[in-house]
Amino acid sequence: MLQLDSVTKRFGGLTAVRNVSLEVRAGELLGIIGPNGAGKTTLFNVISGFYRPEEGRVVFEGRDVTGEPAHAIARLGLTRTFQIVKPFGNLSVSDNVMIGALSRVASTREARAEAKQVIARCGLAPHAHARAKALPIALRKRLEVARALATRPRLLLLDEVMAGLNPSELTGIIELIRRLHAEGVTLIVIEHIMAAMMRLAQRIVMLHHGEKLAEGAPAEISRDRRVIDAYLGEEFNLAQA
Amino acid sequence: MTAERWVAAGLFAVAALMPVVVRDSFILDSLILILLWGALSSAWNVAGGYAGQVSLGHAAFFGIGAYAAALMSARYHHSPWLGLVAGVALSLVAGGAIGFLSNRLKGPYFALSTIAFAEVLKIIASRWRGFTSGSEGVPVPFRPGFWTMGLTHVQWVYLALAVAILYYLVQVYLERSRVGYQLAGVREDEDAAEALGIATRRLKVQAVTLSAALTSMCGSFWAQYVGFVDPIHVFSIDLSVRFALNSIIGGIGTALGPFLGSILITSLETYLRATFSGMKAGFGGIYLIIYGVVLILVVRFAPEGLTGIASRLGLAARKADAAA
Repeated sequence: MLQLDSVTKRFGGLTAVRNVSLEVRAGELLGIIGPNGAGKTTLFNVISGFYRPEEGRVVFEGRDVTGEPAHAIARLGLTRTFQIVKPFGNLSVSDNVMIGALSRVASTREARAEAKQVIARCGLAPHAHARAKALPIALRKRLEVARALATRPRLLLLDEVMAGLNPSELTGIIELIRRLHAEGVTLIVIEHIMAAMMRLAQRIVMLHHGEKLAEGAPAEISRDRRVIDAYLGEEFNLAQA
Repeated sequence: MTAERWVAAGLFAVAALMPVVVRDSFILDSLILILLWGALSSAWNVAGGYAGQVSLGHAAFFGIGAYAAALMSARYHHSPWLGLVAGVALSLVAGGAIGFLSNRLKGPYFALSTIAFAEVLKIIASRWRGFTSGSEGVPVPFRPGFWTMGLTHVQWVYLALAVAILYYLVQVYLERSRVGYQLAGVREDEDAAEALGIATRRLKVQAVTLSAALTSMCGSFWAQYVGFVDPIHVFSIDLSVRFALNSIIGGIGTALGPFLGSILITSLETYLRATFSGMKAGFGGIYLIIYGVVLILVVRFAPEGLTGIASRLGLAARKADAAA
């Protein structure tokens, strides 16, 4: 579904992503891990069209989308959420999600109806009429997901939607991600919380200093010497996860 | 229909009835100016309020429209309506160019570049004597008739009212249509809008271009109504600020806001000027001071504008109802 072909992104003298290739199959749930500054979000920005890579290609469903504007890529069915949430703060939750739906449907009535469904699916129904900026962070993260979902993406990139949540909020959003995956959305998830990642991802890619350091099933990754040295610090016990 | 729509319908109805009841030309003149200033601020609101592209150089488009109509009738002896069309065409081009700039410049930098644009046009209009008559200005001949826009006060009221209602409806469209919601998204957060498949850059250019064309149209009407165009006034920053101010005071990004702002500011200015201009020399400018104080008070106590106060009162009333 998605292929990255030796993608490199530089900012002046700094190479944020170096020669990264990877492939995501339809229906997969891929996790991306790595220390701060490893290039995870930059990679998302390249895939979703916010940055143009200096080298390499991004191919989505057989179509080369390298350097295409983000809105064009979103219309093809590839969208993302933002690590630092970007709600339309002065608009209601319902309007936020509706704007997502309007990327596909022209009628505001239809979009409103679709938004209602997505809002219910994401557990935001009691807050549908609240101003987005009045929501607590856990709900704003959900809103971020809901708005992206309203565009009906086939591939959704989630950038740290779990960070800063308490354990019960965490369980809620993990359930939501699982449900989306079960419904057939292909997902790439950036996350720092290893325990959650181990439970969710089918495959994990580890980035370090902008390069792909390791790739494999969660169990393999957690035992990988390089991953442990660079990131986990100590052997990660799957039993804890 | 929301309360805001009812208020708007009521205000427009009052304006429509006014010429039937009142024959006083001072009051009719004030009404025409209130409607035209309201329409002009609505045009500004399309870019500044709905698209979040705050311009302080909209006098540029006003001046283009004013000069196009004035020159067409004074110099070429054609109908000012043709001038209006020519002005709109020019403003579409200029608005597109300025809108394109807004893709690279944000916030205050965009506002500064629009100021510069209006200043450049002011200089051109002042210096190009062979075409614009320079800083002497262009007197517009009064030839009675619709085609020559030589209208009576009562006719002007209805023309200005039609324009005001049209611009109000354009704004209502921008609130309720698909493109309106998308603009709101662009205004709130461009990156998020882009990720949702909205062509943010194109949409902003379109909004600024539409705003420019609407402003130009009113500039043409204004030139014909007032009967005189000169570069220092029609391209002045005072005008640009006023378009913005009416919207901000009335309620930025709302369809009714620019008209409420215009009612307050225009009538205040007219009243103060009429009251204090007769006084001894040193007091002539006192109306500006009072005007300034009122502005500060409104911005301090109603940062969301007059429509903001209204919706807060409405909310409080609903809460009281619910409690009772």
